[in-house]
Amino acid sequence: MDLTLVLQLALQGFLMGGVYSLIALGLSLIFGVMKVINFAHGEMMVFAMFLSITVLLGWGVDPYLSLVAVAAFMFGIGYLVQRVFVNRILDLPEAMQVLVLVGLAIIFENGTLMIWGGSDISPKTSLALSALRWGGITVDVPRLIAFVLAIIITLAVLVFLKKTTIGKAIRAAADNRYGALIIGTHINRLYGICFGIGAACVGAAGALLVPLMPAKATMGAPYTMISFVIVILGGMGSLIGALAGGLIIGVAESLGTVFLPSSMKQMVSFTIMVVILLLRPQGLFGAKS
Amino acid sequence: MKETQPEPQGIDRRTFLKTTAAAGAAAAITGFPAVVRSQPKEIIIGSNQPVTGPLPDIGIAMQRGNKLAADEINARGGIKSLGGAKIKLLLGDNEAKEEVGRTVAERQIKEGAVVLVGPFLSGVAMAVATLAEQRNIPFVIDVAALDAITAKGYKNVFRCFPKVEYFMKSLGVYLDQIIKEKKVTIKRIAVTNAGDAFGRGQAAAFVKFVKDQKLPFEIVEHIEYPLGVKDLSAEVTKIKAAKPDVLFPVSRPGDAKLLIRELYKQRVELMGIISPGSPGWYEPEFVRDMDKLAYYVLDNVPWVNPKSPVFKEADKQFQKQYPGKYLDTNSGYAYLGVLVIADALERAKSTDPAALREALRKTNFKENPMVGGPVVFDEKGDNINATAAMVQVLPDPKIDDRVKVVLPKEAAEAPYVFPWRQLWDRG
Repeated sequence: MDLTLVLQLALQGFLMGGVYSLIALGLSLIFGVMKVINFAHGEMMVFAMFLSITVLLGWGVDPYLSLVAVAAFMFGIGYLVQRVFVNRILDLPEAMQVLVLVGLAIIFENGTLMIWGGSDISPKTSLALSALRWGGITVDVPRLIAFVLAIIITLAVLVFLKKTTIGKAIRAAADNRYGALIIGTHINRLYGICFGIGAACVGAAGALLVPLMPAKATMGAPYTMISFVIVILGGMGSLIGALAGGLIIGVAESLGTVFLPSSMKQMVSFTIMVVILLLRPQGLFGAKS
Repeated sequence: MKETQPEPQGIDRRTFLKTTAAAGAAAAITGFPAVVRSQPKEIIIGSNQPVTGPLPDIGIAMQRGNKLAADEINARGGIKSLGGAKIKLLLGDNEAKEEVGRTVAERQIKEGAVVLVGPFLSGVAMAVATLAEQRNIPFVIDVAALDAITAKGYKNVFRCFPKVEYFMKSLGVYLDQIIKEKKVTIKRIAVTNAGDAFGRGQAAAFVKFVKDQKLPFEIVEHIEYPLGVKDLSAEVTKIKAAKPDVLFPVSRPGDAKLLIRELYKQRVELMGIISPGSPGWYEPEFVRDMDKLAYYVLDNVPWVNPKSPVFKEADKQFQKQYPGKYLDTNSGYAYLGVLVIADALERAKSTDPAALREALRKTNFKENPMVGGPVVFDEKGDNINATAAMVQVLPDPKIDDRVKVVLPKEAAEAPYVFPWRQLWDRG
């Protein structure tokens, strides 16, 4: 087997894995704190992609620059979604929570379809086609930028949760909801903020993907799926787990193409998930319950 | 609770409701049908296209093609032999899924469709074909190429588009011509395909063709990826490692964009890309978004005939209604599909399925906007005069004029370029 080929594939997968981590981070955070699974995750990401494309086409602002605004907007949407819908279903049985969140996914997907149409759009961005070459290895610049920014955002969220008062309160609420209530934490607002951060993460990921692939309104579901796999692999609710899981899945999918047909690439990630569920059901970084 | 108020003198709410409801019902039973009877009848055609899902650009373009033909026929006074009956299209979205396609067709038949048209995807075409056969409703396939769709000899299925076998026949002629005229030797080739029914079928037919014809090509890599794939970097890395001279892709618009961008970024050196016949390389969205990267790709596709007056008129209308879009393979055949149906209706003088089927079988439709002769169906329902042209995207300041027919020579609008200029070498 060609060593350059393997190196190249591993590198591409690793860089893509960074973006996967950022997508999964939001899902893991929301689950860790509220114990609900955001089935609308991928659809929210696609919505953010189209937001950033609109900004690009309308005002010529590069997705990397509009990232902050898009993430902030998605934070607002996430906050609202939590306060209006999710907050009412926190104590309901899981099957009922699923209904509401799958419903939200359908609303997001069809909302995107209604606003932007079903066509796939890949607008020109400044760096979309640039690449660095080093020996036989090619480094795709938008992928590298996406990776670096995704890792920075992931670390920033981790630091926010560890160091700031709100972050600590969120962790307290995740740890013991009633305990947090007793000491006077404004728990509904915290949950709103937490869902908002999750949505902002996935929104930022959406903006980072714009230079990498054509956006299409109906492409969200596979991303919800892949974030599940990552979160299960890393450990439900573990943020470091999401980071590590994203990188592992990215590399595994990419290297999988060496010995498997491309159309069976997803088998690699699902196989990993099944093995993890069998051997270590709490995930790589998950705490035993 | 007891009624304490005195009876009102005039009409109270309940009496009012009762009388108006009765009047409404009476009008519905007696009045309205009279009005309907005085107008020419409507003929319902079910259009079934992948408007959302992984192939929206194509689905939307095809729906527009169907609509353009229906509007044109209605503007000319409808189906004359049926008292000027107007065509009504039911617009269905099959989401590029077999089961949805079938459900859409079922609903359209329930809503009174007398004939079905569509559906772009071969998989969906098979699902709808079995339904059409079961319900005895004629189904005119505008686009869908897999041989297997008509191989069973369904009575109700007619196909305007060339089948895969015809694609390969024309590809052989053109490849031979290119190799001889340009004095090039192609030794190593790579094949890629999307993993849907057509993608697989077309690529397999191409590989079989290379072997059967004993072409001196070695297939050094054959990659299949799922329909709607979002990342082809690993696949292109493998292609690069295999060092092919020419890439033969069977693709769709989304993956064609990914493929060409990755080939550029990873600097894969090729003599060119020749598609055995697949969408992705000529649609207005691809040509616009990819700009210089779209140049020089050769595609062996059934194409519009730039010299046909029918095409010129239709394309003018299409561009007027949808600025920035033009009739291409798919929208062109979608347009043709409805024209063929209208022609059959005119001759059948009836919407009865048996009469319509008979008329379709005797079709000899000369006003064909596409490359190839008049539409004539053989006993299996295949259009024997359908064929493919070689088209190439060539530099032109006007984006809408960049796709040119380059082979056969008699239809050619420009000479072709082969080998191409490397993707990163285009200024």
